[in-house]
Amino acid sequence: MVHEVPRTYRWDMHVPVRVFADGELLEQISRDRSLEQLVNVATLPGITRAALGMPDMHEGYGFPVGGVAATIAPDGVISPGGIGFDINCGVRLLTTSLSRADAGPSIKALVHELSRSIPTGYGRSGRIALSAAELDQVLQGGAPHLVRRHGLGLEEDLAFLEAGGCLPGADPAAVSARAKQRGRDQLGTLGGGNHFLEVQAVEAVFDPAAATAFGLVEGQLAVLIHTGSRGLGHQVCTDYVKLMDAEQKRFGFHLPDRQLACAPLSSPEGHDYFAGMCAAANFAWANRQALTHRVREAIRRVLGAAAEVHVLYDVAHNIAKLEEYDGRSLCVHRKGATRAFGPSSPELPARYRTVGQPVLIPGSMGTASFVLAGEDAAREVSLGSACHGAGRALSRTAAKRRVQGDVLRKELEARGIAVFCPSNAELAEEAPVAYKDVDRVVDVVARAGIARKVARLVPLGVLKG
Amino acid sequence: MGSHSFEEHTGEVRIHLEGQTQEELFEEAARGLAEVMLGPELPGATGPLQEVTLAAVDSEALLVDWLNELVFRADAEHRIITEAHVDAATDTELRARIRGAEVEVLKTAVKAATLHGLHLQRSPGRITASVVLDV
Repeated sequence: MVHEVPRTYRWDMHVPVRVFADGELLEQISRDRSLEQLVNVATLPGITRAALGMPDMHEGYGFPVGGVAATIAPDGVISPGGIGFDINCGVRLLTTSLSRADAGPSIKALVHELSRSIPTGYGRSGRIALSAAELDQVLQGGAPHLVRRHGLGLEEDLAFLEAGGCLPGADPAAVSARAKQRGRDQLGTLGGGNHFLEVQAVEAVFDPAAATAFGLVEGQLAVLIHTGSRGLGHQVCTDYVKLMDAEQKRFGFHLPDRQLACAPLSSPEGHDYFAGMCAAANFAWANRQALTHRVREAIRRVLGAAAEVHVLYDVAHNIAKLEEYDGRSLCVHRKGATRAFGPSSPELPARYRTVGQPVLIPGSMGTASFVLAGEDAAREVSLGSACHGAGRALSRTAAKRRVQGDVLRKELEARGIAVFCPSNAELAEEAPVAYKDVDRVVDVVARAGIARKVARLVPLGVLKG
Repeated sequence: MGSHSFEEHTGEVRIHLEGQTQEELFEEAARGLAEVMLGPELPGATGPLQEVTLAAVDSEALLVDWLNELVFRADAEHRIITEAHVDAATDTELRARIRGAEVEVLKTAVKAATLHGLHLQRSPGRITASVVLDV
C-alpha cells in the first residue's frame, strides 16, 4: 500500500519518497515521469518527513499532480510550482433539500439553466463588475467579503469552507497589475480545461453517522463545483516562478528541475509569493462562492423557491498552508491533493468535530464521486492529505485516439446524464477512460487510514468548463 | 522554416520546437501555442502590429517569458496572437512584433508555459526545445 523510494536512491534527496498505491495504480503511475518528479521534490531545501505521492498521482511539471511536500518554516522553502498555476483550484459540494425523485425530469432543465447562468470556457465575463479597489478587497477578504459586501451567498456557508474561505496572510500588493488584469472580469466563471459543475445524486451511504453529520441522505440531489482562481492565479504563479528562478544561484540552490524554483519562506521573495498566493486563494474561494450563489438561484428557479441549498464543504487541492506538526510550523504544499484532517482538528466546523473533515473526491466525467471523512491518523500517515480525484491515466491526445466525443456524448445521454459541452474533442479529452479508476483510488486512501468512505454520488448532469 | 510537433504528456501539453535560428524557434513557439489554443487552422491577424520587448536570465527563461506574454494577451485581452515576427533574440533579450485575432471559443485554454525539463539544444544550423504548457 505504501511504496517507498529510500533517501539513498539519489545523492541529492533529503527525504524518502512515499507513494500510496495498490499494484495496478503503481503500474499506471510508473508509466509516466511522476515518480522521477517526486524524487526531484525530495531535494527541496528544508523538506521534512517525505515527498508523498497520492494514489491518483500523474506527471505534472516540477511537482507531479498528486504530490505533497512539507518544508520546515520559516527557513524551509516555498515553491510556486508545488502549488501550480491554478492556485486554490478546489472542489465545493452543495447539498439540497430535494431528492432525485423531486427533480425528476427537470434535471435537464436545471443543467440548461445552470449553463445559462454560469459562464464557462474562454473569454466569458463573470458579470460581477469590480473596481480595482473592490478587486483588492476580494483578494484580501475572500468568500466572507463576497457574502457580506456583495450579498453573494449566505453567512452560514462560510463555516463550511476550508480556512473559512479566507487566508489571513493575503496581500493584494503582492499580486501584479497583470494578474489583476487577467482576473478583473473572471470572478464568477467556471473556466475551461478540467473544470466542471456536476448535478449529482447520493447513490450510497457507507457511514450513516458521518453522513448524518454532513447532511447527506441516499437519493439526495447535490451539486459539485470544481474551479479555481482563474487567470489571476495563473499569473501570480507565472510572476513568482520567474522571480525565484532568477534568484536560485543567489540562494545557493541547485535543483534538478527549474520549475521547482523556490525561495525560503523567510526571504522577501518567499514572503511576497506566500502573500500573493493567499490573495489568489481568496479569489478562488470568492469565485466558488459566486458560483454557489448562481447555483442556488438556478435551483430555485427550476425546482421551486422553497428549495434549500447548503454548502457541505469546500476544499482546496492546489495550495500551500502553514500547519503545525509536532509543535513545528510546516509549509505543506498540496499539488493536486486534498487536505484530510481528522475529527480532533480545531479547524473543523463544530458539526463535523466528531466525524472529521469532509474530503471531496470527484471522479472523472460520468463516473462516481466520493465524500470521505478525514482520519486523525492522516496527520502522521500523509501530512493530513488525500487524493484529489481519479487522476489522469492517458494524455489528452491518447484519449482522443481512443474515444470519439460524439459517441461518448450519446453514451452519457443514454445513461441519463445531461451533458453541456459544446466541443466533442474536449469531451473526449476528459473521457472516463483517460482517468484512473476512482473507486480503486478511494479504496487506497481508505485502506491507508487517511480517510474513510462516507458516501458515493453519481452524476445526473454535467456542465463542462 | 521552423516546425513544431506535439509530444505525449499525461496531464499537460508538450510541444517540440525546431528552427534554424533562435528567432525562428521563437516564432514557431508562437505558432505552436496558437495551434494548441485554436487548432491547426489559424484565423488571420487584424489590427496594427504591436512591439514586444522582453528580458530574462537565459534563453530558456526567455522562451518561457515569450510564451507567457502571449498567454497573457490571450487571457487579458481576448486576443490570440497568430502573427509573430521575432526581429531579434539573444540569450537574454527579445524584440518582436505581434498581432492576433479576437476569438470567442478556444479549443484548449493555456494557463502558462513552464520551465519543466526545458533545454534549448543547439547544433550547427539547428536549434530545438521541448516546452510543457499547463492546460
